[in-house]
Amino acid sequence: MLDLYLFQILNGLGLGMIYFLIAVGLTIIFGLLNFVNFAHGAFYLLGSYLCYTVVALTGNFWLALLIAPIVVGLLAWVIEKTLIQRVYHLPHTFHILITLGMALIIQELTIMTWGPVGKSVATPELLQGVVIMGDFAYPKYRLFLILFSALIGFGLWLLLERTRFGALVRAGSEDTETVSLLGTDIYRLFSLTFALGVALAAIAGVLATPLRGANPFIGVEVLGLAFVVVVIGGMGSFSGALIASLLVGLVQSLMTTLWPQGASLMIYGAMATVILIRPYGLFGRA
Amino acid sequence: MNTITPISNSTTVQSGEAILSTQGLVLAYGAFRAVDGVDLQIRQGTVHTVIGPNGAGKTSLFHCLTGERRPSAGRILFGGHDVTRSSAHGRVGIGMARSFQITSLFQNLSVRENLRLASQGRDGHRALTFWRAEESKRCHLDQADEVLERLQLTARAGVPAGDLSHGQQRVLEVGMALCGRPKLLLLDEPTSGMGIDDIPIMTNLIAELGKELTVMLIEHNMGIVMSISDRITVMHQGRILVEGTPEQVRSDDRVRAAYLGECA
Amino acid sequence: MMTIPTTRKPSILGGVTLIALAAVILMPLLLPSVTLATEILIFALAALACNLLLGYTGLLSFGQGIFFGIGAYSSALVMIHWQFSLFGALTVAMTCGGAIAALVGALAIRRTGIYFVMLTLAFSQMVYFLAYTLSDWTGGDNGLLDVPRPPVSLGGMTLLDLTDSRAFYGFVAILFMLIFIGARRVIHSPFGTTLVAIRENENRASAVGYDTRHFKLLAFTLSGVVTGLAGALYAMMLNFAPLSNIELMMSENILIMTIIGGSGSLLGSLLGAGSIIMLGDLLSEIWPRWMLLLGVALIFVVLFMRGGLWGGIEALIERWKERKAHQQPSAAAAREEAGQ
Repeated sequence: MLDLYLFQILNGLGLGMIYFLIAVGLTIIFGLLNFVNFAHGAFYLLGSYLCYTVVALTGNFWLALLIAPIVVGLLAWVIEKTLIQRVYHLPHTFHILITLGMALIIQELTIMTWGPVGKSVATPELLQGVVIMGDFAYPKYRLFLILFSALIGFGLWLLLERTRFGALVRAGSEDTETVSLLGTDIYRLFSLTFALGVALAAIAGVLATPLRGANPFIGVEVLGLAFVVVVIGGMGSFSGALIASLLVGLVQSLMTTLWPQGASLMIYGAMATVILIRPYGLFGRA
Repeated sequence: MNTITPISNSTTVQSGEAILSTQGLVLAYGAFRAVDGVDLQIRQGTVHTVIGPNGAGKTSLFHCLTGERRPSAGRILFGGHDVTRSSAHGRVGIGMARSFQITSLFQNLSVRENLRLASQGRDGHRALTFWRAEESKRCHLDQADEVLERLQLTARAGVPAGDLSHGQQRVLEVGMALCGRPKLLLLDEPTSGMGIDDIPIMTNLIAELGKELTVMLIEHNMGIVMSISDRITVMHQGRILVEGTPEQVRSDDRVRAAYLGECA
Repeated sequence: MMTIPTTRKPSILGGVTLIALAAVILMPLLLPSVTLATEILIFALAALACNLLLGYTGLLSFGQGIFFGIGAYSSALVMIHWQFSLFGALTVAMTCGGAIAALVGALAIRRTGIYFVMLTLAFSQMVYFLAYTLSDWTGGDNGLLDVPRPPVSLGGMTLLDLTDSRAFYGFVAILFMLIFIGARRVIHSPFGTTLVAIRENENRASAVGYDTRHFKLLAFTLSGVVTGLAGALYAMMLNFAPLSNIELMMSENILIMTIIGGSGSLLGSLLGAGSIIMLGDLLSEIWPRWMLLLGVALIFVVLFMRGGLWGGIEALIERWKERKAHQQPSAAAAREEAGQ
């Protein structure tokens, strides 16, 4: 019985880490660029399908893990320079509308390229099978997922806290004008940050694909959950994104056998409650 | 729910009596007291200016009076009503109207529509009538035209407010407050950013208005303050330092010290 | 005293209303099917209601699907279980739509900007999952089947049977015109002008005496009433109330129609619903991925044509008028220009 709970909890952690990778990019983009990216789920989607294609062509999952975020990141860079830079000065409503349009285009192009039916990807050979800890067995891949995501999260934390780039991002989130007055090319910073945030979503897409397959309609669900996490954790907060995504992942995982719709109800209910009571979330700034 | 509780049945204020008064008003941000026990009296029919160096608490006081901030302690009485906790929009209904320091108009709407909306604002809840034609309330259009005349903006009536010159926009700011047919006008640095040629328009307007209703304003330009004020309140570090006629204030050493103390 | 030029105050029965009337009359004649025309009017109603919030009050609501779905479900349920008449069912749909909208609105307007949008999104999802779960009432994933289409009756006497799709179109068309005219009145009322003031500068609106919460709440309620009606009519049209009515996607579709057609104009709502539904009907067979064009249109509207299709048409009409005005006196200037 305890094993079942442990299983669900570990699953929840894994799910939570995937949500973290998606949400942290979204929250950083909002924190620095003050931009609401409703296309974030679509980039996750692209990451997922690129994983499928690379694996289908080369049989190498690790290559997919490397290529997908780079390709998606580059695409995001181009989109930021051509479309998104034009709307920064407009109210959030327009951010939402333009990224909604982008998401629609990406989703339809995805279906045009890969068809409307979901695709599956096998777990990489190295990670097939289970890890045995006493009486308890847990899939190797899921364990890898948790550890690898945590590693990426740690790397991201190092980037934000210990590098000049990270300092600029954090400072820019506080006061964009000052940072630009101090000589930084703020638009280049924006492009890099946008690409980075989106690339993280793509990595999440790759990591999730061996478990859930690539499915063209997953973008919308993922986007919703990403915003739940960002709101609960606090817009612009790294630690908020981490804690909130783990919470959401755990809730989803624990309730999935009992009442999956209930999980969604609770999660979105929590989002509404947080906005009404404490809009800056758990760790957000005023 | 914000309530305006009448203190006395009489709502008419004799000239010379205080139309607005505060009792021990405090506005604290944590440990910092922006307004630290202010007893202000604004007499009916006067032009009353509040001045003071930066950080004196003028703006915070203003925010309490307009309803933008709820005071931490103390009371605000207006014409017999306790308005300490009333909402900003509620205060318009009983005769208080304000202008903004940073111009805040309906930029894309015409000047006339700006004023008509400001006049319609007097109706408060009665404006929720979605089944009546907007022209059914001719009085608001007439009021707008009247104020347009007064502001000498009649020629620009159909122009979007955002297209006016800065000076004209500042004047329109005052006009918006006027449309509420207030008994007390609260003006926040009305001449802020205005060019030297435009300022007389504003000062004449304020002087004129001072004859018909009560005007309270925050102002930095000493020349204007001295020329149009009937009474001046000098604030310093959240409290009233000195209050009196322009002559009294001008010659008071404490005022000089408060201002120059900043530069010394 | 200088006389101010009086702006032309349009009668709510003229101008744009006549154009709408013309469209309503011509559609069933020009379109391949009457049902398509009916669908257009139904979604035009939903877009109109969405416009009241978005175009006029400046509120981006992802919750319109809630009211649409509630309207569909509530009317279907009272007709199926309690044999409500046509007007009874529609009244129930409008009441439920309005009530739920008032509830959602009351909570959502406690926040502004992006947090407001997120609230409507959260509520939309919550209602969807609730509808999924309460499958005894809603039919869950399957939806409610065999939704009746009662006749127009008065005191037990049947006046007009609506089974025929043309008769039903006529009924919907009349409702549409009534609401369209009503919407014009709302726009040109003290309430409507205040909504615009709130959209333009909420702070200022508050400062001149409006309790903006009450205005936003009323806007929400009115929007919910009309959207609920649209949902009920849709259920009657399809004889079916699917779960998709209350999905987030439905809210998005309504928003997209409102925006592409032109937020801030009632005719834009008709145009948006009409063009998107017609486009879908035309293309979905030959190109299933036609919705890609909607994505492109959205981006185009945000970047270049914020007034949507109707805004674009109005701009063209303005330019045509200006050219005509210039043509008369400056024939010589025109020749000069042409020579360059």
